Amino acid sequence: MARRSAMLRLIWAYARHQLRRRFRLPFAAHAQDVLNKYAEDRLRPLTLGEHRQLPAMSRCINCGLCALIVKRVGGVRPADLPTAYLRDYTQLPVAISDLEGGDPGAPALLSAAAACPVGVPLAEVAAAVQRLAAG
Amino acid sequence: MTGSVDSAQDVVVIGGGVTGAGLARDLALRGVSVLLLEKDDWGAGTSGASSWMIHGGPRYLEFDWKTTRQSCEDAGHIVRIARHLVHRCVFLLPVLPRDRLGIERLETAMEVYDRFQPLKDSHPHVRLSGAEARLLEPGLSSQVVGAVTMEEWGVDPHRLTWANVLDAVRAGARALNHSRVESLLRDGGTVIGVRYRAPDGHRVEARAKAVVNAAGPWAPEVAAMAGAAVRLRPAKGVHVVYDRRLSNFAISAEAVDGRELVMVPHGSLTLLGTTDDDYYGDLDAQEVLPDEVDYLVQAAERVFPDIRQHRPLRATAGVRPTLFEWRLSEDRLSRRFEVFDHQKRDRVSGLFTIAGGKLSMYRLMAERTADAVCARLGVEARSSTARRPLPGAGRVAQPARELAAEHGISALAAARLLERHGSEAADVLQDDRRGRLVCRCGALTEAEVAYAARHEQVRTLADMFRRLGLAAGPCAGVACLERAAQTLGEQLGWSPSQRRDACREYLACAWRTRVPVLDRWGWAQEELAYGARRGWPGGR
Repeated sequence: MARRSAMLRLIWAYARHQLRRRFRLPFAAHAQDVLNKYAEDRLRPLTLGEHRQLPAMSRCINCGLCALIVKRVGGVRPADLPTAYLRDYTQLPVAISDLEGGDPGAPALLSAAAACPVGVPLAEVAAAVQRLAAG
Repeated sequence: MTGSVDSAQDVVVIGGGVTGAGLARDLALRGVSVLLLEKDDWGAGTSGASSWMIHGGPRYLEFDWKTTRQSCEDAGHIVRIARHLVHRCVFLLPVLPRDRLGIERLETAMEVYDRFQPLKDSHPHVRLSGAEARLLEPGLSSQVVGAVTMEEWGVDPHRLTWANVLDAVRAGARALNHSRVESLLRDGGTVIGVRYRAPDGHRVEARAKAVVNAAGPWAPEVAAMAGAAVRLRPAKGVHVVYDRRLSNFAISAEAVDGRELVMVPHGSLTLLGTTDDDYYGDLDAQEVLPDEVDYLVQAAERVFPDIRQHRPLRATAGVRPTLFEWRLSEDRLSRRFEVFDHQKRDRVSGLFTIAGGKLSMYRLMAERTADAVCARLGVEARSSTARRPLPGAGRVAQPARELAAEHGISALAAARLLERHGSEAADVLQDDRRGRLVCRCGALTEAEVAYAARHEQVRTLADMFRRLGLAAGPCAGVACLERAAQTLGEQLGWSPSQRRDACREYLACAWRTRVPVLDRWGWAQEELAYGARRGWPGGR
């Protein structure tokens, strides 16, 4: 009985939905509206470039070889960027103070990435972390 | 081992999942003396293997509106009493050209669901074009023609369970994990207590005026100890866990059989699930099969094409204690719950069972069960669990940046600490070891490990995994386990060989969850990681 009643209510809702659409143009919101709505929850999307780099960022085995070339990015060991920081993007704006000061610069990060045995793109990781942390 | 008689109490609750813990809390807050027993660790069974969501269940609108309403109402209570433990989980429900539900039917369902959303402090849906949806999540397939947003809440079920246990204990309950009930004590047709094996191996008898069976899928086994019957239709649910947020948005996907699956970001991880299959196997040895993983990944791949390039860490399996119904497919079974008074059903007095339901309405399940027990005991106090904040949610927490600066820890470690402890985070840091990290992936400090051993009933490394997320990240324990065992061992008085045994025991269990998801790159990465740690723990 409950199942039949549930189905009937959905059919009625569908009929009303279709009727409304006949008299109103289909409305699709913009992505920015959604982002504004959830700004407090810090739900910012990755860029397409960052998304494509994610699998490479996941390769880190935290061996520490990169740290022999670049000791710190801000106050963070470089290997911690892909394994700790670039995992929960919503926390990065909160953790921005960890990244302040001591920017090693792109050439040093590229050298560190060249030493990585599994090919983690460290310069791109650092850039993504900085961008997302900036909020 | 010799047996001993424990002191008597009003109620013994069997099962330390979120429902049992919530029940112990509810009863203790009414002034009832309670003993809560869990055979493994808090939330180690079905609760921990869930999708980690406090959700209303729009899917049930097709056949069970009452459950959707109850679920949304109780989700609202949980969100308000556990604010530091929950996070807003925004779904993108993408539509592909030949999906079971087209965009119009999907939006209709969301329009209906919007009526329930205010119950849990959530916003109404938004409709997006395919291109706009891809701006929010660039990993979505180019085939996506449109999408609808939907809000739910995410939660760490292990912390939620623990918060309930902790509040129960603060209200006067006793709670013991690693304490398996072996039999029920009976006097004729009346259950008068339980006999359990304590963590030290001793057999202990605990007398009680009422015993509540909140053992989830194990409920039929517990009821059978008293000659009573509980009929369930257990269903296995598998999730694949990825090493990071693959997206900031949760994404739904249609599986090959038309079922809806979800890919949900939670903290630093992503959960992809779930399967829903009748389960007839050993409840204590649930295994994840490779074809279950394939089924999930195949579905996700349709809307998120590069899913196979991402790094799965492990797979989890749990069994839902769904109430028995004949003929329906697993997916169509109602998630309603029922409180059984076995005096009425089986002529066994003093025994109650709570079965069915879901994580999102654990509090309501606990309240209804407590009402039934209190009616039998003549206790008139009413439930206060819908209003009373859980530990850590009572006050506004200090901002992460301030906490970090005050105690000399990284802001990331402070943020993680706040997620677990809320306004009680500073208490954890009253320890000289607060600045030293045990687990770099999880930014977990030694101080928190020591605190968990002293105050959170952490007795094993697996307990630590559940309570604090130790070894839950990409290193899967390779880099942190030994150090964690040392810190935990110092608190629990372990010898060096006990520490090593603890590591081996943990790794043996963890491997069973990792093997189904490691492909050839995963294995290579594993080899490299161990190589980088110079072969530990092989003991060359």
